[in-house]
Amino acid sequence: MASFVPLSPDTLEDQRLYTSARLTEVACLDCLATVGVKKNSEHHTSIQWSTEARAHCPELTRRAGGRESHAGCPRMLASIETAVREGAVPVGAEDGY
Amino acid sequence: MSDTGSSTRYLDQGKPPERFARGWHCLGLESAFADGKPHGIEAFGTKLVVWQDSQGGTNVLDGYCRHMGGDLTQGSVKGDEVACPFHDWRWGGDGKCKQIPYARRVPLRARTQKYPVVIRNGQVLVWHDVEGGAPDMDVLPPELPGIGTDEWTDWFWEVVPIEGSNCRELIDNVVDMAHFYYVHLSFPTSFRNVFEGTRATQYMASKGRPDVSGGYGDAEMFLKSEATYYGPSYMINWLEVDYKGFITEVVLINCHLPTGPDSFTLQYGIAVKKPEGLDEKTAQYIAKKYATMFGEGFLQDVHIWKNKVPVQNPLLCEEDGPVYQLRRWYEQFYVDVADIAPEMVDRFEFEVDTTKANEFWQAEVAENLAKKAREDGEGADGVANPEAEGKPQVMTGT
Repeated sequence: MASFVPLSPDTLEDQRLYTSARLTEVACLDCLATVGVKKNSEHHTSIQWSTEARAHCPELTRRAGGRESHAGCPRMLASIETAVREGAVPVGAEDGY
Repeated sequence: MSDTGSSTRYLDQGKPPERFARGWHCLGLESAFADGKPHGIEAFGTKLVVWQDSQGGTNVLDGYCRHMGGDLTQGSVKGDEVACPFHDWRWGGDGKCKQIPYARRVPLRARTQKYPVVIRNGQVLVWHDVEGGAPDMDVLPPELPGIGTDEWTDWFWEVVPIEGSNCRELIDNVVDMAHFYYVHLSFPTSFRNVFEGTRATQYMASKGRPDVSGGYGDAEMFLKSEATYYGPSYMINWLEVDYKGFITEVVLINCHLPTGPDSFTLQYGIAVKKPEGLDEKTAQYIAKKYATMFGEGFLQDVHIWKNKVPVQNPLLCEEDGPVYQLRRWYEQFYVDVADIAPEMVDRFEFEVDTTKANEFWQAEVAENLAKKAREDGEGADGVANPEAEGKPQVMTGT
């Protein structure tokens, strides 16, 4: 029932690598949200929210609905920057993922 | 780990989907169906019949009569109903057979597939769901303020049938930062994606490539683009084009109808906010110019799609966008509602690092310009770049 069904088991491993490997948990300094973060470089950031974390974020909840809801939460971004500065989030890619 | 540095990598082409996506799909401009005739639109592995009734309502049914399979799109509109050309069975917009002129009564079971319709921004949207669920009004694309008034041009609307590609190729463009440089000859300087719920957005800033421009887009064209898919097939792309300090607001609709496992109908519409101080004719001219430009941009994509293979296991580098996460998001429209997993709809943000790409592209563009200057200096015909004229420099969203 999938949009495309992979034929090789290796593809499932690729899906895991690209979507969930090397995510570091970062807790927001201002609310109860905790997200998964990956930084392949100084400029790159990948942020995976969960349903629970999303419900905790007052900023994103306030903006839900309109076009503006797609900008990141500045408090979470600041929390991630702090975590990176403190060395809690490793910066660097592993073979492209 | 399945892949080590020494093993050869193979493409997993996968099996194409067995169903069509759940969600709102655009059939075209409302005005295109307003002539009192039935219209045929290929979609979802069948043909739909679309007509306007006497109240001005747009109706959409499966195109084949439940009696003997006659083609309703070749019938006629009688009163508020569409009449089959085969035996004159009359079908109402609610999917019920209203009348069989030669029969004493209409069978109670004479109901056909109807598609719920919403008119949005002058376009006909229908809800498709293989499970037969009620249309979800909460996930409709938003109304666009100003569109349909004198402040904006009308839609320039184009329809392009695509054979030999699954529509997911088109979706993949949402995250494909580098193809904008190579396929569309524009120069992304920043690139960000956000997926959440039924929406997937691409934010991009870009500029034209001076080495391949032909008098329209060039290094002095800067573009800010925000492109959001509202569900599986309908994208609104807000564009702010800055050309030599002259800013134009453009809205591009990029939508498609899946017609088969490896075919779809691409449709796109352009509306331009009429710049103050410009007369109607000039505004129309600008809108048309953009429509042509984006049309050519899509054809550049189509050429790639037609010749590529499907790939379920793309190999990515650090500069690529989140292809796997985008496809995980897209998956929600192909599973039963009950099977939508949290990770398909959970918020995901991704900022692409364009630093290295920009360094390399700057250098490549400089080299191309230097080469061109040398050739010009050597007395070439002065046609430095014959193929560049008219190519889109600001292709976005797709």
